Amino acid sequence: MNDYLTDLERRSISIIREAKAQFNNLAVLWSTGKDSTATVWLCKKAFFGKVPFPVVHIDTGYKFPEIYKFRDRIANEWGLELIIAQNKEALASGMGPEKGKLNCCTQLKTEALKSLIKEYEFDALILAIRRDEHGIRAKERYFSPRDSEFRWKYTDQPAEMWDLYVKPSEDFSHMRVHPILHWTELDVWEYVKRENLPVNPLYFAKDGKRYRSLGCMPCTVPIPSHASTIDEIVEELKTTKIPERAGRAQDKERAYMMQKLRSLGYM
Amino acid sequence: MALDALDFEMVKKFDCKNLMQLEYGKTDISEFKLARTVVLWASFLSGKNMEARIPVKTQWEFKLSLEETFFKFFDNYTAIDVPAFSLKDKNHAEERRLLKAYFDDEATVEEYDSVVWKNHEENKKDFFNALGRFDLVMGYFDLADAIGHLSFGIPEKMKTVYHELEKMAEEVKSSFEDLVLIISDHGMKAVGRYGDHSRNGFYSANTRLRLNFPKITDFYNLIRRIHLEDESS
Repeated sequence: MNDYLTDLERRSISIIREAKAQFNNLAVLWSTGKDSTATVWLCKKAFFGKVPFPVVHIDTGYKFPEIYKFRDRIANEWGLELIIAQNKEALASGMGPEKGKLNCCTQLKTEALKSLIKEYEFDALILAIRRDEHGIRAKERYFSPRDSEFRWKYTDQPAEMWDLYVKPSEDFSHMRVHPILHWTELDVWEYVKRENLPVNPLYFAKDGKRYRSLGCMPCTVPIPSHASTIDEIVEELKTTKIPERAGRAQDKERAYMMQKLRSLGYM
Repeated sequence: MALDALDFEMVKKFDCKNLMQLEYGKTDISEFKLARTVVLWASFLSGKNMEARIPVKTQWEFKLSLEETFFKFFDNYTAIDVPAFSLKDKNHAEERRLLKAYFDDEATVEEYDSVVWKNHEENKKDFFNALGRFDLVMGYFDLADAIGHLSFGIPEKMKTVYHELEKMAEEVKSSFEDLVLIISDHGMKAVGRYGDHSRNGFYSANTRLRLNFPKITDFYNLIRRIHLEDESS
């Protein structure tokens, strides 16, 4: 087989294998959404049917019940070494979206992941981000070093020519590896179809609405859609003018700006 | 006039003739890793790159001593709300509190803007009251920076800000015959509706200084030289 999707897959698999070869303690993040499920599948294919490192699910406690159900089923079927990261302390103290959405995300996602990295001493994480998701993500590299505060020096990144990837910097905490950075949303759905991958039912339209991007329940809204099969989703994506993350409350520009203002000392 | 985030390209775009003055241009802040407000003003005041000395977390509390700044050359000076020297801590803490509250969905842009404009009016009053009463008056205005951070991508809003600063420059120049130096710490660029610091810093003077892409630290010696020339004449 030698087609467009196979070319995408080959590059992704080579990045995953490169990450496994370079780092001692690797993990892949899995939200159970289409992108990260496809990425876990790529990890499986890269190592002939068995993901040879942990699969991390960050559980904010506010996810859709369908997400937990899907996660547990697939983890079992695919034989994944699942690690669930949760900031129990923040949840116990009542942290939630009503305390401020960004504050909530920071506590329940970022801090949970920080603790996990510390606890398991991960030196690299595979993430399923794509350049076409957002302008900020378009600046990403396949290998992207982060410091202990998860800061990313986006103004100081080498071009990744000839498959030469960046090495850890001095203030390096862990490497973010993005094997599907070059894929589009449509590519992912076409790949899901080709590989017959399992899909969270939330993606399929029900009563004229479906979720196009999965997040936490209070901060994710469905988009108007009648696409109830993968074929219909593929067709919808070819004509839609609605941004993929339109249903997510956490606007990335806003989040980027907040992070930037913090680095400049305003907050 | 110390105008935070007054952007070279925006001054030209809105054709702010009074801000541009006889000589104007871009400043060189390439030696700084990050275009941080307090660092850049501290460097302007002291003639030294202060980046290493000012930690991000405590930068707003950072203060230079008089001896470290060009104010020491003047017997009679006033510094209105100048970062790293005479900052009105309470006003800026309130602006930063509302900025954070905006990102936490606890305050609106309008609430934030109104506090920024209120503080601006206060500084403007202090500044115009001081003109003519001191050998050196330095007034700091964060309007373009503070409004710009949440609204730089909204042209109509920024036009109002630049119009306000242009009007102030016109008023200063019409009521005052001495040297008028207008300088910013950095410029600004749009990130969607928001604004991020850029390297497009601006300076202008109502006399020929013959500067060519000056560093922000070059102004220390320039101010000293002009003051000495004034004294000897």
